[in-house]
Amino acid sequence: MTDQELVPGFTDLAETMGAQVISVSGPEAVAAKLVEVLRPLGSKVALTACSLIRETGLEAALTQAGFLVEKDGAEFARQADIGIVEADYGIAETGTLVTDATDLKRRLASMLPLTCAVLLPAERIRANLAEVVEAYLASGPWPGYLALVTGPSRTADIERSLTIGVHGPERLLIILVGSDDCGGQ
Amino acid sequence: MASKEFRERIKKALGNASLRGALERFADSYVVAREQVYAGRDFQALRERIAAIKADAANRYGELADEFARAVEARGGKVFRAQDPASAREYIYQVAREHGVTDVVKSKSFASEEIHLNEYLEERGIHPHETDLAEWILQLMPGERPSHMVMPAIHLPKEEVARVFSRYLGEPVKPDIAQMVRIARRELRKKFLSAGMGISGANIAVAETGTIVICTNEGNARLTTTVPPVHVAIVGYEKLVPRMQDVVPILEALPRSGTAQPATSYVTMITGPVPAWLGDREGPKELHVVLLDNGRTAMAADPIFKEALQCIRCASCTNVCPVFQLVSGQVYGYIYSGGIGSILTSFFNSLEDAADPQSLCLGCRRCAEVCPANINIPDLILKLREKVVAKQGLPATYRIVLHGVVAKPKLMHGLLRTAARLQGPVTHGQPFIRHLPLFFSPLAHGRSLPAIARQPLRDRAKQLERPVENPRLRAAFYSGCVIDFAYPEIGEAVYQVLGREGVEVVFPQGQACCGAPATYSGDRETAVKLAKINIAALEAAQAEVVVTACPTCAVALKEDFPKLLAGNLAWEKRAQALAAKVKDFTQLVSELTAQAGRILSAPAAAGGPTPASPAACREPIRVTYHDSCHFKRHLGLDQVARQVLRDQPGVELVEMKESDRCCGFGGSYSIKYPEISLPILERKLKNIMDSGAQVVATDCPGCVLQLRGGLDQRHSPLQVKHTAEILAARLGANPKDRT
Repeated sequence: MTDQELVPGFTDLAETMGAQVISVSGPEAVAAKLVEVLRPLGSKVALTACSLIRETGLEAALTQAGFLVEKDGAEFARQADIGIVEADYGIAETGTLVTDATDLKRRLASMLPLTCAVLLPAERIRANLAEVVEAYLASGPWPGYLALVTGPSRTADIERSLTIGVHGPERLLIILVGSDDCGGQ
Repeated sequence: MASKEFRERIKKALGNASLRGALERFADSYVVAREQVYAGRDFQALRERIAAIKADAANRYGELADEFARAVEARGGKVFRAQDPASAREYIYQVAREHGVTDVVKSKSFASEEIHLNEYLEERGIHPHETDLAEWILQLMPGERPSHMVMPAIHLPKEEVARVFSRYLGEPVKPDIAQMVRIARRELRKKFLSAGMGISGANIAVAETGTIVICTNEGNARLTTTVPPVHVAIVGYEKLVPRMQDVVPILEALPRSGTAQPATSYVTMITGPVPAWLGDREGPKELHVVLLDNGRTAMAADPIFKEALQCIRCASCTNVCPVFQLVSGQVYGYIYSGGIGSILTSFFNSLEDAADPQSLCLGCRRCAEVCPANINIPDLILKLREKVVAKQGLPATYRIVLHGVVAKPKLMHGLLRTAARLQGPVTHGQPFIRHLPLFFSPLAHGRSLPAIARQPLRDRAKQLERPVENPRLRAAFYSGCVIDFAYPEIGEAVYQVLGREGVEVVFPQGQACCGAPATYSGDRETAVKLAKINIAALEAAQAEVVVTACPTCAVALKEDFPKLLAGNLAWEKRAQALAAKVKDFTQLVSELTAQAGRILSAPAAAGGPTPASPAACREPIRVTYHDSCHFKRHLGLDQVARQVLRDQPGVELVEMKESDRCCGFGGSYSIKYPEISLPILERKLKNIMDSGAQVVATDCPGCVLQLRGGLDQRHSPLQVKHTAEILAARLGANPKDRT
């Protein structure tokens, strides 16, 4: 897969696997887009502390738009409608998000609410899992909790009927940041 | 013979329409979906890579376990090595007790079922809650057995699940799947948020980093390992791989082979304790990894059976198994089902526990074709069968037939000749036995049996053997019992076709049964005896080629004899020399015609003999081809046969659905398990009849027997022909009809 194919490849597979991919031109466009997309999906947001989330001024934008933003506490994410996290990598071959989720709040925010929004810089898309494993191996001690997520939570346990949203989110939004510069759609 | 309780289970499963319907629907769509999800990938290379990784690991579990434990402990986790289920259970119970745990959330784990953890904890006042939806449903239905390794509740209709949920909630629940999934989410969320401990299994354990890898689509493993302050992972030694990069091919194959998905929704890799909410603050959770042996290191030390430790538990072998589709995991018993399950059970439980489950294998080899860990499951099952027979002995009827008759060719041939004379009343002068008296009747139920030929091929051979001037080749014909005694006309066709090709054919009279019935019954002793008899008889013929028209015999001569006699220096060499000469009839025809640069049925072009009645043999016929299991999966000649048939002018080859699906014969299998063999035959017959062909061709006389018998009982005008018969008829010399 060439670099030009990574973004469309990832987008295609992620959507096939049931995620919704939303492209924005750069970090400055994230907040407005998320406010617009998330408005119909609830009012309580569990926000994790990630660099891209800070950079985009998301907290202020969400608060200003009337969302209730929680960032901490014993009940974190338990009652939230939406969790917002950031991913380290995307895998084009399978439409997978890869995140070092050692931080407890990242795990809770991405699993407990019905909607999970994940920010992914487009330049972090890699062709396959082998490349991603190599990248983590090269960058120091292996993460304590590495999460690979492909599409929303799903089951086919009753009559093999595919049903979305069992224990994890039923809606997975991937905000692909800066994809316009990377030969995206 | 299978135990009474086992037969009862089979009967119950076969009578369960919703179970059969669900498994069949799944299996049908699985085959197609699997094909699609692997499209463009080199499956063979992938599975060889996985097999190499897992085989290497199995050679050094001790070393890898040490490395794994050091890595986990360096991160602050604990590793407990459990020799047996009792010590594993006790350790986990003690951890729970120390923390005052009353409720445990569990993410699906075979290992925990293997050690009967739930019952143990429950008896001690600790409540385990399964969180995989199917496992939870089954947990709410005491006494209900899982029907499939990956989809344990596939057999339950939604109405049944609604009844279970209604009972659990004490309020009516509608059989609406989406609604029921929401109920499960709500109810199990409470358990996740209140449990004091999470218990998971693992799909892979990486020695290099001390990482456990868990795959779930629902996300329950993520919650199980995130919310409670204590995590216990139960990991069999066979999950160990040396390096982190080794997870890549396994994660490529597992979802594709398991459920035909490109990726599992949640793949979680846990390395050491991670932060958790400890009730009043965030802090490191407690991580315990229980490394479970329970027969695994003994298995790894076994030069033959260690191969089964390569299994990645995708269950694709059961998804393509024609027997599993009929009886489900509920019949196999214990934790691991299907053919691979019986092998694992023989080590994790006992040989006795594996005796009945292993006997269900039909030997069709479809599983070996799809196994992403490249495990030769059918061969391992035969080895297991030998072990069972060595320990328990052959069932009495088998002992009498195999030792007393088959191993003594003169006696067997004499008995068959006598039977040919005496069978008049049952065959009513027809070439089929439609009804059998008394206790033999299940054999002829749904399938007529062929009558024994009045004159076996071995007695006709002299008349068939004609001197060939300047023969291109001298071939010894190894007919096998079915052609010899039931279908000598197939043998005659072989003589005619090869004769026209300038091959001098001889019939070594000393040949006996190839031993396949003994091999597939686990009777090594008889198989060895017959191998020697046949090697001596076929050597005496001094032929360049040993030709057979039965793929089961071909496999016996080519593959089994050298294995059976391995280690016996003189005999091993002789077996190998014979094996090198063995050639299937259709393969030989294909080679001879290619050499001659022409196709078989255009002899005039090459100056050969002119067909007796060109018009008759050019009459177009529509032929569909049935792949015999041994012919396709052992000999790999499926395309060769099709090409040979296509080369016949007037033959229109049409493909049936599932042409390579077993016909259900399996030699003595159809006698051992007629109740399973028959529905497999029925499906095959339907596919044949739906193909619109007038003739079904196959290269195996066993399949001919099974298919002719089935079509006869259904009064179908469809003809079943061995490829040799079609070629002979096309030559214009119809083989004589049997009288």
